Amino acid sequence: MTDQQLADGAQLLDERAGDAALEAPNYDNDFDVIIVGAGLAGTAAALTLANRGLEPLLIERGTYPGAKNVFGGVLYTPTIRELTDLDSAPLERYIAEKRFSMLSHDDETAVSLKPGAWNREPHNDSYTVLRGDFDRWFAEQAVEAGATLVTETTVTGVVREGGGIVGVQTDRPDGEIRAPYVVLAEGANSLVSEGANLKETESRKNIAVAAKEVLEFPGNDTAIEDRFRLVGDAGVSYHYFGEGAVGEAYGGGFIYTNGDTVSVGVAYSLDDAATKRQSPESTLNLFKSHPAVAPLLRGARTVEYSAKTIPEGGAESMPDLVHDGAVIVGDAAGLVLNNGVHLEGTNMAVESGYYAGSAIAEAAQKGQTGAEALESYPDRLENSFVVQNLERYAWLQERVEEDRELLFEQLPRAIADASTEYFRMDRSPKATHANAAKQRVFDTLGGWTGAMKLALRYRKLVK
Amino acid sequence: MSVTPQVPEIENASMEDRLYTVKYDDPGESHLDVKVQRICSDSCETSDCVSICPADVWRREDGEVPTIAYENCLECSSCRFACPYDNVSWEYPKTGSGVTYKHG
Repeated sequence: MTDQQLADGAQLLDERAGDAALEAPNYDNDFDVIIVGAGLAGTAAALTLANRGLEPLLIERGTYPGAKNVFGGVLYTPTIRELTDLDSAPLERYIAEKRFSMLSHDDETAVSLKPGAWNREPHNDSYTVLRGDFDRWFAEQAVEAGATLVTETTVTGVVREGGGIVGVQTDRPDGEIRAPYVVLAEGANSLVSEGANLKETESRKNIAVAAKEVLEFPGNDTAIEDRFRLVGDAGVSYHYFGEGAVGEAYGGGFIYTNGDTVSVGVAYSLDDAATKRQSPESTLNLFKSHPAVAPLLRGARTVEYSAKTIPEGGAESMPDLVHDGAVIVGDAAGLVLNNGVHLEGTNMAVESGYYAGSAIAEAAQKGQTGAEALESYPDRLENSFVVQNLERYAWLQERVEEDRELLFEQLPRAIADASTEYFRMDRSPKATHANAAKQRVFDTLGGWTGAMKLALRYRKLVK
Repeated sequence: MSVTPQVPEIENASMEDRLYTVKYDDPGESHLDVKVQRICSDSCETSDCVSICPADVWRREDGEVPTIAYENCLECSSCRFACPYDNVSWEYPKTGSGVTYKHG
């Protein structure tokens, strides 16, 4: 936020409510849309609305947008690029390599992808960012487009009239604010939506818990370039699965390279964390100490520790997105795709905010606030990559859950053992090693029949 | 030539040092509580709130009502989802207070 914008905001407060403005902003009916939460979904909605000439009010409970936000590390930017100019965005590094790694107790088996095209603009629209920087910048773009941002204000409930939502209640004195539309973009811990009976509390089976650290390498300016084999602004996303990554739980570990730091974390089933007594902190420690991970992090110092829940219920557990006078977007709507190969959510948040903003702008033109007038939001979302991807992978989540012992424990161990056999150095012929290696994997899969069954179970993956 | 694999020791920060990396403005009163104390003392045998908390906010002796170190809370809300008795009352910390992440 520039000083000028802050001064303008303060002046606005004073003009509208006199000296007590900061105590009790009286914004009643001054705005077209109230947006709860200045994360990526809320800000995308605000930017879309401001770009179309409407006056949105963006309410954030933190001291600035992004102050309370946490995520793994990669932001996919095609939609943001549509909404605003990315040139001044605080991007850390572009993703030049994706690496998928299976960790058993002390083995690693990895696949690495490094397409040359990712080194060229627009870098596959994949960048590491830090939310404290990025969300603040993104909200600034919305303010410059005409949105009003109020921070340090918590929305505690919605205001209803005749069944429809006509505003929000904040924790400021006299803090009721009315507007024709409300966008609920409050994230995974969606207390307002739940309090208003717009969604149910998500079952813990559909929630992942994540613990993350941002690490720096004191006294070693080239640690990141050297260890991750990077040149210039290139960066990596490393994904880890298996018992070496998250013990007996269902989930994974990650490393993302930022400019001068790396983000390291684990995200796994909250249900597993509870039933298997696996605390997020100890799981993170275990992951960082794995023989394949520790050398990448040696000598690092923790500059930030954070934690977050991630809604992973998919399409099935999406709440109704549209109500009379209100829509739900982003994490609050459960728009996260985390199936091991694709780890997405922030791009879905932006997409949903964009469609929600567009739908409201269209309804506002007709002066309608009813749910049916806002239906173009869920309609467009369903035809977009967001819901199509969620639906495509819904069955995969189920399958993987059913086969998880095989996929995350037995198979990685068998593959590691097989590699050990295949490349074993002794005086027997290669054929002996190859047979022994094959046998290891087949024993795990239950022979040809087992392998065929497994292939059939996952055939939709390549369709 | 050494025969043991060389795995560098990772010096993990203590929980205290980890929590020290975030800014926390104390709202002066807890935003977390249990809804019905009797459920904790009479029914709960698993202490899921304790197992899942990434910040050691929840502490509990067997059969006791948990103590809640809300000033450590990272606002992840895991406890709210994890409690099998739906017995965690969770509010956003008062305006402007609670955790602030520099990086996020």
